[in-house]
Amino acid sequence: MKRVFSLIFLSCTLPGLLAAQTGIYQHGTVVRMHMGECIPAGHGFMVAFGGPSTPMGPEPCPEYTLVADNVVFVIVGKLSNSLIPLAETIDFRFRKNEIAVRVDDSKHEVKFAIKEMTVRSEWDRMQRHIEERMKDQVDHEAEVRLR
Amino acid sequence: MRNRPSAWLLPLFLVTTLYAHNLLFGQSTPSSSEDSSRLTYHSSVSEVRLVFFATDEHNHLVEGLQKNDFAVVDDERVIREFRSFTRSDVTKLDVVVLIDSSESVLPYFEQEITEVQQLISQSPWGSGDNVSVLSFSGEEAHLICAGNCGSSFVSDRLAFLPRGGPTPLFDAVEIATNLLIQRRQPDVWPVIILFSDGDDNVSKASFHEALEKILVSEAQVYAIDVSSLRRPSNGTATLQRIADDSGGRFLPISEGAGRIFNDVIDDLHSARLVTYELPESDADFHSIRILPTRNLKLQFRCRRGYYFRPGGAHSEDSP
Repeated sequence: MKRVFSLIFLSCTLPGLLAAQTGIYQHGTVVRMHMGECIPAGHGFMVAFGGPSTPMGPEPCPEYTLVADNVVFVIVGKLSNSLIPLAETIDFRFRKNEIAVRVDDSKHEVKFAIKEMTVRSEWDRMQRHIEERMKDQVDHEAEVRLR
Repeated sequence: MRNRPSAWLLPLFLVTTLYAHNLLFGQSTPSSSEDSSRLTYHSSVSEVRLVFFATDEHNHLVEGLQKNDFAVVDDERVIREFRSFTRSDVTKLDVVVLIDSSESVLPYFEQEITEVQQLISQSPWGSGDNVSVLSFSGEEAHLICAGNCGSSFVSDRLAFLPRGGPTPLFDAVEIATNLLIQRRQPDVWPVIILFSDGDDNVSKASFHEALEKILVSEAQVYAIDVSSLRRPSNGTATLQRIADDSGGRFLPISEGAGRIFNDVIDDLHSARLVTYELPESDADFHSIRILPTRNLKLQFRCRRGYYFRPGGAHSEDSP
């Protein structure tokens, strides 16, 4: 239910947010990365807003969790070598319903499809919950070992 | 008269308080200090030690690599904070040379044996290096020599190697990793130099079991493709995967024994060691990948992952 509210909230607030920030680089940090399935043509969160993606190859594509000030994005590269430099802070902007990431100090950008979006506060809350659960599990395992 | 009770009550209160303090703490202080001297504080902080190699776009080793030039992706988490970043201090090698002498490599066998002989007898091994040789064919691996394989001794034995029959490649890899695990020392670098065409048709161990054993042993595998096929084959892909997963290298035999030895020594001298706090995870297996933070032309080579079992054997320690 909370996810539904989050999506409704995002769909209401994002267009304004996006419009306000089009063409301006935002800053974010990549906190997770793995090689996963590519997003096939005609899918993805932002397809509803327009812009079909290109056909995907058989190789896995890099998937990143990009944490920005207000929103956390899960973005997927279009090719297996669509890599983001994993610096502490990266520059990105919205471009034609995708996220364009600046890969170095030049103007060169790599585009990524948006797979998921979560409000930052909700994402932070979920992370805290996961961490607490894992800590409890570690404590429990330590307790069992001591017995 | 009204002030008289307070005149003697105050001293009485003070005396009582001091006496009570002595009762409570005076006797307990010595035992408390004794207890505290006996107390042991336990802290279970696990550390991942990862050896890796950095090269530029021309495959040349990068000399001036800095701590903030790379990030480690451990079990999908991006790690940028490291406890330490140094050159690896290993100086000795523990090498197992695996020779495929099965039916499928017989067309290339003469060249394979020539390269192995050159590698063992003409390479400038260090005084503390261990070199062992195993061959595999038929249904088992054959230990030619373990530890200090002298050049003349090996040359004599190589001429009479059992040959032909099916290929127990994965079983042989397991035996080699067991040898390395038994002799494991912190300042010694475990290496497998595997001469094969990559085909396996008789092993009891599966490909994935062999890969797992390589990761547990923390050995770097230099896979030498003896088949010299121009087009990629399943065997080539197997060798490439074994080399990649271990953080080693894949080479065709045409590169020669000198190149193989130089690659091993270059890696030994250029290896970096990074340590970081073990990220919390439910998974036993942590996949690892090192990626650049700025310069996307930098390439990083390291083992594909490590096993961590809380309370069990930890395999995150690298040389």
